[in-house]
Amino acid sequence: MNQVNIQICIKEIISSFLNKIKKVDHKNNEIYIHLRDIDDMPVICNHVYTSLNTKLATIICTDEQKNDNDFVIRYVFEKLNADIFIFIIASLKKSKYFPSIVSQIPAAASYEREIKDMFGLVPVGNPDLRPLVLHEHWPNDIFPLRKEFDLKTKVARQEQEYPFLRVDGDGICEISVGPVHAGIIEPGHFRFSVLGENIINLETRLFYAHKGIEKLAESMKLDEVLLLSERISGDESVANSTAYCQAIEKISQVYIPNKAKKTRTIFGELERVYNHIGTLGGISTDAGFAFGAARLNILKERMMQLNESLSGSRILFGVNRIGGVKYDISDKNKKLILEQIEEVSSDFEKIIVFLRSKSSFMDRLKGTGIIPKKIAHDLGIVGVAARCVGIDVDTRHDHPYANYTVHNSRTPQQIMQDQIEMEKRSGDALARFEVRVKEVHDSFKIVRESLDLDDDDGLFTEVPKEITPYSYALGYAESHRGQTLHWIMMGEKNSIFRYKIRTASFCNWKIIEHAVLNDIVPDFPLVNKSLDLSYSGNDL
Amino acid sequence: MTEKSRKILGNHVETRNLDDLIIADNYRGKITFTSETVHGQQDLLESICPTKALSKKDSDTMTLDNGKCIMCGYCTESFPKLMKIENKCPSPTKTKNKLVEYSAPQEHLPEKSYEQIGRELKEKIKKLFGRSLAIREIDAGSCNGCEIEITALNNPIYDIERFGICFVSSPRHADVLLVTGPASRNMQTALLRTYEATPSPKIVIAVGACACSGGIFGDSYATTGGIDNVIPVDVYIPGCPPRPEILIQGLLLAVNRMITNGI
Repeated sequence: MNQVNIQICIKEIISSFLNKIKKVDHKNNEIYIHLRDIDDMPVICNHVYTSLNTKLATIICTDEQKNDNDFVIRYVFEKLNADIFIFIIASLKKSKYFPSIVSQIPAAASYEREIKDMFGLVPVGNPDLRPLVLHEHWPNDIFPLRKEFDLKTKVARQEQEYPFLRVDGDGICEISVGPVHAGIIEPGHFRFSVLGENIINLETRLFYAHKGIEKLAESMKLDEVLLLSERISGDESVANSTAYCQAIEKISQVYIPNKAKKTRTIFGELERVYNHIGTLGGISTDAGFAFGAARLNILKERMMQLNESLSGSRILFGVNRIGGVKYDISDKNKKLILEQIEEVSSDFEKIIVFLRSKSSFMDRLKGTGIIPKKIAHDLGIVGVAARCVGIDVDTRHDHPYANYTVHNSRTPQQIMQDQIEMEKRSGDALARFEVRVKEVHDSFKIVRESLDLDDDDGLFTEVPKEITPYSYALGYAESHRGQTLHWIMMGEKNSIFRYKIRTASFCNWKIIEHAVLNDIVPDFPLVNKSLDLSYSGNDL
Repeated sequence: MTEKSRKILGNHVETRNLDDLIIADNYRGKITFTSETVHGQQDLLESICPTKALSKKDSDTMTLDNGKCIMCGYCTESFPKLMKIENKCPSPTKTKNKLVEYSAPQEHLPEKSYEQIGRELKEKIKKLFGRSLAIREIDAGSCNGCEIEITALNNPIYDIERFGICFVSSPRHADVLLVTGPASRNMQTALLRTYEATPSPKIVIAVGACACSGGIFGDSYATTGGIDNVIPVDVYIPGCPPRPEILIQGLLLAVNRMITNGI
């Protein structure tokens, strides 16, 4: 079925742009369209974006100057109604300029700014060319992801000021918050322009936690990068390492055992549960209701203790390995999981019923931090943030991996019901609260269903000792925040040539600037927590 | 639930007494050497460790830097006869070189439970300050794993406030700075300013492998390779991430240090 869709897609693109395309190719669920000239990029991207029902998944730049390919840029589009990723590929031909596609596809804005910082290539036509990843104290001629740049280089600091957007007018004040915040959270800077208490504008400034993960991966062995991928964002360790492993497995054409698939699914869902419960607790704290938070945090702790007895790590580090998983779930542990989730889910249900009955709590969430659906669509939002406005994207359904192929079967009636349910969602903090509650229940269900680990086909498949250099593939997974995409191009001698990571947080951070616009400053922590974004996963 | 459990609320939500909170058998904590000699295997061991925590001392001994170890267990998988991973945690120390252990057998202090450490801490804080101990947490580029564990200290199970320890919103109210992450370059200025904004006497605790040594992120263009390259550190807490029990043990060490140094 998917092969047919791929052929239809290819035909459609070729028929429109035959003389602009150099080569068309496909592998697994990925279509590669090589263009003759990078200047045709905006037209073709726009066509793929508007006519083929796709969204921008990521933009990947690679420095292939040593292979006589100059800089190559790959625009990755994800088809919304089929399991297909479309890569549009062009090389730069000795110039340091490439055409921007921001005017047609707004989601491209931060990817282009990232490329400008990390590779020193300028997107012509992007109205915002301020530095993103490398803050003002970095010299202007440092481009860390270029191959000639050495990882260990210590760059001199320079004094410069970052031009924040200024809002002028009578009575407008600025409030600057961060990067060291009041609570126990990660670093980021928020610049509010307020009139009285109302937020007129919010500008987020991130990348304080930039640790050079993508560059670091290029100097590491494959199994070391696995550890690195777990630490992209500590609470997403299973999702990110699953995506990483799947990319490597896809490149080397290895199929993992059923048992490993199920185990990955179980750990992935356990991760979703403990994080969602924690976020719901956080929402309760930020709504000023410590009682609800206390009780939810007890449940989070119990889930983390369960994680520890299953995997030896409270936050599920070290679960995956390339080609499968590390830990078998014994019969004793199966029983433990069933007992624990039985207990936790019944307590959880009670707490949620209790929270819903508190009008002051519900009132605080309702209508707060509304995400406009049109903007959410244009910015390519993923995960809970998208589902809370009724945009039905979920990697587990759209591009089934691990054992999710099994959990996808819905009757036409259920599909209809789900659609009606989606239409009702209003995009406020309450909608995000409800979506998370629903997902916790769904996750419990998936864990219960995946526990029949009867397949006796081992925990992992051996990956070939030597993987073909310069072959590449896309790995993906749905973390509790949304889709995480990992693109890997292998280098010589089993090294990694380029590791491009795009977590859900990178897509979703932009939306917070729009979600707070009709709110007052004290609403911000609540809106921020209800979106539950990772700083480290964004900053890399 | 055991008989010892105490109810904090109705509706079946209860916490256990932490005296009998046990660490799971398969918890990946401290790496120890099981063999007296590692002769001949040193180069292999060195190359297998992703964070260079294992290094060669002389022809017969290796050193293990707990400040660098991220408990991945790669060494124990490849050399099950030489090393093993225990469900105990490495202890916090006052100096960086105390984090380093040798392959020769080590003496270990008997471990105390979370409750015992907490009670000891409470008494000392009361005697020393006559008020609560105020902590300001700073994330200097961590992966947020350490934050999860620090947040756990505030949940009703670990409930650190009952020992007279509270997290405050401003460095100006703080006695202790709890710093995580490899001190990313982009956070360098902010970290330094937060340190300067904290009134003396102050204690800085580096939390986690990244904060102690850069951890897996090491020392690169974007990181500074550990908190002590930016601000002076008084206590190092190893782990990836350190468990709440170890965090509170680190706090006890910090308070002890304040007592010996005099404030």
